[in-house]
Amino acid sequence: MWIREIPKESIPMSELQANISGIIKSSVIDGPGNRMVIFFQACNLNCLYCHNSHTIGLCNYCGICAEACPTQSLTIDTLKKHIHHNENTCNHCDTCLKVCPINSSPFYKKMSVNDLISEILEVKDFISGITVSGGEVMLHAEFLKELFIAIKSHSELKNLSILVDSNGNVTQDEWDQIIEIADGFMLDIKAFSSQVHLELTGHSNDKILNSIQYLNSKSKLKEIRFVLVPGFNDSVDELQGVGQLMNLLFPDVKKVLIKMRKHGIRTKYQHLSEPNQLELNNAKEHLESMGIDLTLI
Amino acid sequence: MMEDIKNRVHAVLTDGTLDYKQKKHHLAYIAENTQAYPEISPKAMKALSEKVICDLFEGSAPYRPRYILPDYKLALKKGVKYLELDPPTDFDEAINFLSILYVNVPSITGYSVYLGTIDELLLPFVGDLTEEAIYKKLKLFWRYIDRCLPDAFVHANIGPGDNVIARIILKIERELKQVVPNLTLKYDPETSSDDLLTDAVQTVFEVAKPHIANHQMTKANFNNDYGVVSCYNSLPEGGGSHTLIRLNLKKITDLHQGDLETFISQTLPEYCQMTLDIIEARIKYLVDTVKYYETDFLAQEGIIKLENFSAMFGFYGLAECVNQLIKKSGTNFIYGKNQEANQLGHRILEEMKRIVDSRQLPYCKANNGKAFFHSQSGIDIDIEETAGARIPIGEEPDIYSHINSVAPHHHLCNGGISDIFHFDNTITRNPSAVLDIIKGSFKKGMRLFTFNISDSEFIRITGYLVRRSDLIEFREEGSRYGSALFAANSIDNANVDKRNTKRINSHERTASQY
Repeated sequence: MWIREIPKESIPMSELQANISGIIKSSVIDGPGNRMVIFFQACNLNCLYCHNSHTIGLCNYCGICAEACPTQSLTIDTLKKHIHHNENTCNHCDTCLKVCPINSSPFYKKMSVNDLISEILEVKDFISGITVSGGEVMLHAEFLKELFIAIKSHSELKNLSILVDSNGNVTQDEWDQIIEIADGFMLDIKAFSSQVHLELTGHSNDKILNSIQYLNSKSKLKEIRFVLVPGFNDSVDELQGVGQLMNLLFPDVKKVLIKMRKHGIRTKYQHLSEPNQLELNNAKEHLESMGIDLTLI
Repeated sequence: MMEDIKNRVHAVLTDGTLDYKQKKHHLAYIAENTQAYPEISPKAMKALSEKVICDLFEGSAPYRPRYILPDYKLALKKGVKYLELDPPTDFDEAINFLSILYVNVPSITGYSVYLGTIDELLLPFVGDLTEEAIYKKLKLFWRYIDRCLPDAFVHANIGPGDNVIARIILKIERELKQVVPNLTLKYDPETSSDDLLTDAVQTVFEVAKPHIANHQMTKANFNNDYGVVSCYNSLPEGGGSHTLIRLNLKKITDLHQGDLETFISQTLPEYCQMTLDIIEARIKYLVDTVKYYETDFLAQEGIIKLENFSAMFGFYGLAECVNQLIKKSGTNFIYGKNQEANQLGHRILEEMKRIVDSRQLPYCKANNGKAFFHSQSGIDIDIEETAGARIPIGEEPDIYSHINSVAPHHHLCNGGISDIFHFDNTITRNPSAVLDIIKGSFKKGMRLFTFNISDSEFIRITGYLVRRSDLIEFREEGSRYGSALFAANSIDNANVDKRNTKRINSHERTASQY
């Protein structure tokens, strides 16, 4: 997250830009090896257990965060669509994020492909590759295409692998823009039945199921992850459906069962409960009994 | 004087926390110190007694070199007459040969600081042995080393090639979880496989060793083969270092009266020369008075050669030195955090290196008459000073900044330098991430890479390891990186010493407390 002034409209419009909510220069949990992870702002799902809910929305300059800021570190120019953040007075209390009515943040910034290339060049000697994540990164397919071409055609970066961490809620048109250039995709299956999916994320999973199968058929799906949320997707029907889906995928697609953790989730969804050991074991045993080679995180 | 000696001897004899061998070692130290220190100026003597310059308890009458790296390859080839050992003809004989030779190699602690590059030594004897047979023999060998050379500074090397011996040693390390021997993998991207490095990294996850040495970079500093011994010292095989004297940069900064420029133009050179004077006096005593290199069987039989020796000029407390000098000059930059401070640190190192390189020392042919420059990794008595050129514990920045801050120093330290990186245990699920960082750090010019996992059973204090369970009371995980840690751990260790007889030595100073 940035803590300096972000002139959101100061970059020439001719150059394609994306809203970047953050960059982690060393991550060991976003694919193989040490990776730089670029997080894109805005998401087309709204999962109850989202750990980074401030990356869901796009700022509309309503000014609520500036009013709520206890240290008056934010000023908003609604005409110029510009947020000034005073990093000297900010105490990182995150009140701005908590009060935002549309799950956005005053801190993301517009970056060009060249901006990102500079960031990658700084750490290229230390990483296996980059992972793009979100928010929902596939909302920026056109930008990604340019970024990936720039990486693969750069003499010092071309050996870096490119992984895309997506919720899968887009159509084949989006995938086709980058499927040949990206090295692999990591997707979630948040629930098998469309109804449960709707309850958990606010959207149905039609596109997601298609995406999983499409990427698998192109041998580009590297990982499929299932986050276990008690009371939602831990029923026998759900587990059976998820297991069947996983069984349709190539054996080298990594299948991961993730324990939902409450860290960072919004106050209004605090009623969700983390799976206990028994619930976790039940899900694990169910999927494994279907012959799935499962990794538990 | 006599009464004082009697009392010290009595204290050793009646100390129930020492075993028989440790008592004998301490008695020898007391006897050695009845001799006058090799001739140095009163000012240098004062600096020694006030620990402004520290001789790491080598004793006042050097009768054996501090670090000996026998040419074990040559010994295996020629045999050792003094020990009535013929050249071995098979694996069992080779292990037996080395086991006998190890306990006859002198050192300051009484235990050989170098066991050789084990895979290189033993590969010629593998013959048609199965992996299982090699495993069983090496496991017994490793147990012998831990039980009969119980000293955390005893150091073995493996690599750079990937081979069955190196792999089995890593496996045995993971199984036995012994503190001894300390272990270094010589890594060379040209000859070491990623698989071997991964195996090594996964071994670090379990036992906090091996260290990973940048083989190409280190090799370039030596005419022949080298070894990484004791605490990150890189030295020539078939030789070593007569002595290691280290300069306390924090204390000379405390003593310094003027500004930054006069520190660099006056105080620093003055104390560097004083350190070099002490080194020179000790070398002369060892070579000319004791005539070690004429009388010891290792030298007589060519397993070590005087021409392969030099001395080591060490330093520590660079961080405190830099921070104090900067504070005095009225700014607030901090070593490890700000470029300005890092650059000053580098300037001080370059200046010291220049002074060391321009002083010809006797009997230091291994480095063309100059001392090896060494970032000394600290010992348990260092409470206020950070080891060598490291960033103080608890103040380390993110991993890339950390590497970029310290890497520029590494090429200066031909006698060895170390920085310890701490990783959260999530990285254990993704060992290739560590490979990426190690390879990146070597591209940035790091000479050696050492890392720990936050919740490892093994804790690295300075250069040696202790088991977490050996500590009486370990602080909360959160304070692991606290600034008080260094002191706390050393105190904890000292308490462990007082509680029971401790089989494994890991403190230089133990010999000096009586």
